[in-house]
Amino acid sequence: MDDFSQVPAVHISRLHHVYPGTRHEAPRLALDGVNLNIPTGAFFVLTGPNGSGKSTLFKILSGLTRPGLGTVSIHGQDLLAVPNRVRRQMGVIFQRPALDKHLTVLENFQIHAGLHAIPSHQFQPRLDAALAWSDLQTRLHTRVGTLSGGLARQAELVKVLLHEPQLLLLDEPTAGLDPGGRMAFMSTLRRLQKKRNVTILMTSHIFAEAEQADLVGILRQGQLLAMDAPSRLTARLGNEILVIQADDPAAIAHTLTNRPELSWQIHNHELRIQGTQLPTLMADLLQAQRARIQTLAIKQPTLEDLYITLTGRALTSDEEEENR
Amino acid sequence: MIRATLILARREWIRFFRQPHRVIGSLAQPLLIWAFLGAGFSPSFRTPGMEQISYTEYFYPGILLMLMLFSGIFSTITLIEDRAQGLMQGVLVSPAPRMAIVMGKVIGGIAIAGIQTLPLLLAAPLLDIPLTWSGLVWLTGGFLIATLGFTALGFLIAWNMESTAGFHAVMSVFLMPMWMLSGALFPLDHAPMWLKSLMIINPVTHALTLIRTPLYHSPMELLTSSSYWWAGGIAITWASACLVLALWRVNQVERGLDPARFISQSPKGPS
Ligand SMILES: Nc1ncnc2c1ncn2[C@@H]1O[C@H](COP(=O)(O)OP(=O)(O)O)[C@@H](O)[C@H]1O
Ligand SMILES: [Mg+2]
Repeated sequence: MDDFSQVPAVHISRLHHVYPGTRHEAPRLALDGVNLNIPTGAFFVLTGPNGSGKSTLFKILSGLTRPGLGTVSIHGQDLLAVPNRVRRQMGVIFQRPALDKHLTVLENFQIHAGLHAIPSHQFQPRLDAALAWSDLQTRLHTRVGTLSGGLARQAELVKVLLHEPQLLLLDEPTAGLDPGGRMAFMSTLRRLQKKRNVTILMTSHIFAEAEQADLVGILRQGQLLAMDAPSRLTARLGNEILVIQADDPAAIAHTLTNRPELSWQIHNHELRIQGTQLPTLMADLLQAQRARIQTLAIKQPTLEDLYITLTGRALTSDEEEENR
Repeated sequence: MIRATLILARREWIRFFRQPHRVIGSLAQPLLIWAFLGAGFSPSFRTPGMEQISYTEYFYPGILLMLMLFSGIFSTITLIEDRAQGLMQGVLVSPAPRMAIVMGKVIGGIAIAGIQTLPLLLAAPLLDIPLTWSGLVWLTGGFLIATLGFTALGFLIAWNMESTAGFHAVMSVFLMPMWMLSGALFPLDHAPMWLKSLMIINPVTHALTLIRTPLYHSPMELLTSSSYWWAGGIAITWASACLVLALWRVNQVERGLDPARFISQSPKGPS
């Protein structure tokens, strides 16, 4: 996917957001200088632990919150200056469900059509087109409260497709779905992107989902640590990494200090080594350090490995870290 | 704007009927209070100038007002649920003007209050209240002002609330007393001075005047009564002030602090 057009779908520069404090809480820096360029037609996944600022970024992109500093433009238009014009081009799915569960699926769609001023003669054709992306055809008169989690998420997607957005913003759309539901939802998004050339921005704290995207951003404590194609991100760790589990990984690492071509991190009881000729190293270590090693494996690096390398920690919540 | 308002009002309406406990609850409570208090107080109730009316009858306009208060206020409680879910966010990111959120609630609230007050209105002839058709028109005017005031006030409170429990607390320490001190339960004239002053500054007292007077007086008498005009003026001012405040509040966009100032205040960040 390198044929992205010139004007980026989303251009964010120097974005900061500080939540005002309350009587009980100090102000909180949620976004700390984010710069981001997302080409039109791209599938972008923003990952990061809970509390890293993903939803805050989405609230700003959808115009719900105004940032204290920074600029955002969507298809070249300044979001903060002409929010209403920009909003018409966006379909937003929030982390929390946005359908009225006492109403039927169809009634919810009608409300959406009313709010987006969709002409009534266009409602039916658009509904048919949007429904084709879902399994909801026979469930239009079901109350949303009785739909399964997966179908409810599909209903959210159909709803935002009604006004034919060019940019989809989805905040943890797969949260609460089972693995099958997740996969199905992700592949629907993929097809939408390809067939309609919709730009998709979604957040997820699941790295495996991010690996399916064109572009991945990793956010931590309000800062964008890295942003690139997933294959290029993992390539930063080389083709392979050697992962050793041991009671005392530091002791094993100590034996590597005379090998400048290697780099490693220790995390809990895990030693992760990057470098060249890892299979040879593996054999050597097996011989010399057998007693200390519980398991060892060579694997292709994943985004999660990159995250651990970048931050030196596993994916815990940023909030938990602060409370420690 | 109009379409968005009507579609949101319609949603309130559908939701109301989909939750039978709400229909029954908001109707049953005022009726029970009316029946019990009316039966209990009627034998001993005597108020100068109104010797000929029973307490059940005295209390009747107050109960009408209570129905309006309940349905107006409770229709705004859904706002708290909507905000806790992503529902309100969904409306806020749509191109529909934010005003439509207030107007949809208010119109929906008025419609729901109307359908709940109607059955009780049929009781008027049973009480020998001389309500005429033209009196009904004036009563409707009073009804619109009172419900507008209650729904807009409820909106203002609910918009700032995080939980429905908080709303119920406000209901019992603020809204119910407003109703109790409106002359619904006892007449203003013989209350002690401090209570009387509270009642006079209470806008709900004047809303009640707009409900009570058309039951007994012809439109001609209303038009020439300065106290009726005063009550009307005060109630309208109260209702429009609540509406304007709600519209202003809903148009406020959440915004972040200037990071430069934030960082200078606490150099090491949030914790
Ligand atoms: N309404 C709010 N008021 C104050 N702080 C908030 C609010 N929403 C989020 N935060 C804080 O901002 C930070 C980022 O939160 P959020 O954007 O929700 O992260 P994520 O979506 O990545 O889990 C967290 O520290 C969170 O506690
Ligand atoms: Mg979030």
